[in-house]
Amino acid sequence: MKDKVKEVLANLLKVKIEELKDDVSLQNSIGVDSTEMVESVIALEKSFGVKLNTKEITKNSTINDIANNIQSKLAK
Amino acid sequence: MEKIAVTGIGVVSPSGIGKRQFWANIKSGRSFIKQITRFDASKYPSHIAGQIDDLEKYSHISERLLKKIDPFSHMALVASELALQDAGIEIKNEDPNLVGIFLGNAIGGWLYAETELRDLYLEGREGVSPYMASAWFPAAPQGQVSIYYGIKGFSKTVVSDRASSLMALGYARKVLYKNKLNMILAGGMEAPVTPYALLCCNTYGALSTHNEDPQVAYRPFDQGRSGFVIGEGSGIVVLENIQRAKDRGANILGFISGYGTSCDGADRINPASDGKELARAINMALNDAKARPEDIGYISLDGLAVDLWDNSEIKALEIVFGNSLKDIPVSCPKSMFGNLLGASGALDMIIALLSMEHSLVAPTLNLDTPVLKGINYVAKQAREYKVNKSLIISRGRGGINSALVIEKP
Repeated sequence: MKDKVKEVLANLLKVKIEELKDDVSLQNSIGVDSTEMVESVIALEKSFGVKLNTKEITKNSTINDIANNIQSKLAK
Repeated sequence: MEKIAVTGIGVVSPSGIGKRQFWANIKSGRSFIKQITRFDASKYPSHIAGQIDDLEKYSHISERLLKKIDPFSHMALVASELALQDAGIEIKNEDPNLVGIFLGNAIGGWLYAETELRDLYLEGREGVSPYMASAWFPAAPQGQVSIYYGIKGFSKTVVSDRASSLMALGYARKVLYKNKLNMILAGGMEAPVTPYALLCCNTYGALSTHNEDPQVAYRPFDQGRSGFVIGEGSGIVVLENIQRAKDRGANILGFISGYGTSCDGADRINPASDGKELARAINMALNDAKARPEDIGYISLDGLAVDLWDNSEIKALEIVFGNSLKDIPVSCPKSMFGNLLGASGALDMIIALLSMEHSLVAPTLNLDTPVLKGINYVAKQAREYKVNKSLIISRGRGGINSALVIEKP
């Protein structure tokens, strides 16, 4: 799950996979901006087939946070 | 008003990227007008242009940023970097509050806009990139340049059709004169070689349809003229107060010493046929520069290659210069690489600066038989002239006139 989240974000944002850290926020790891977050949420929704909440997935989310959030949505 | 120093040149054009390559091609009188290859333009009445095919080779912009911006912002970013390098300026050493950006653009970033509009109609709202909102509009390059360098001073984007960038240069000078800023990145950018932008330019009806032989299609002031050819690119210069430029040991490339602008108030598209308002703008620029008409050693023409535009331009020159016009070399070098619309004036100024530096006036291509005789056209080949002051003319639809006087250091 975490690897796929990283792959989606790296392809979308044109950053290296290594720059995305499991336990560091997107803000602190790659300096994501608010428009990139909008784009990221849409791309993750498409890739995983779930509806995500932009209040739960934010600039301050880590890869672990995002993967857990998607996992919980898929489990429902 | 005080003169302002030009201390760096950044050029991104079909005739070359970087001032050395650009000038080598300009002085040799080579045409860079070609059939459009970026998309299938074969069904457009005019499908020729000056295109830039190798921007990536010169670009310092990351893929991450490129996906958020239109090519016209990309061109402005590359031209800004080249201008700063040429000026020997490290922005990080500047007070960001005292650096400004004054750019001109006519039509905005249409490649981004039209691609996203297509996606809107095909895929719905979610198909549209969230960057659309910040990528397409004419001031987007100003924003991108300011973000890239952390520039925070007073800045502006001028949208005034083809006169946009010459106006931006004129206003930038005024702001520097008032000591509001230490330095300004000034000029313009345009990227009209896209399916929708090309369609709009075609609809305007002033483009040459001489597609079978692109290099001879753009023929300003020639009897065989049939309209202009579009081109894409960016010209950006570094402007500073003379004292600051001297204090830091800058290589001063020239001075901007006068600016004038007026409106014809005649027609929503065409200029007034009498050239009187353009003449008034030129006189304003000369007065501003404290120059007499006979002081001007070179005139860079707007040269749209449309009867009414070319003839009224010459009428304006006759009003201002009278009999002495026949002695002043005039040319329209954009015939080599296309009319960069809102960025055209900046490129014209850069060519005039380089012409003065090298004592070599750049030519008008394809001027075989001038419509109006008795004018000192520099045609086909560059010609040696020692020039101390140049006049640059840039005009826009709806009768917008602008004129700039520059001087050799």
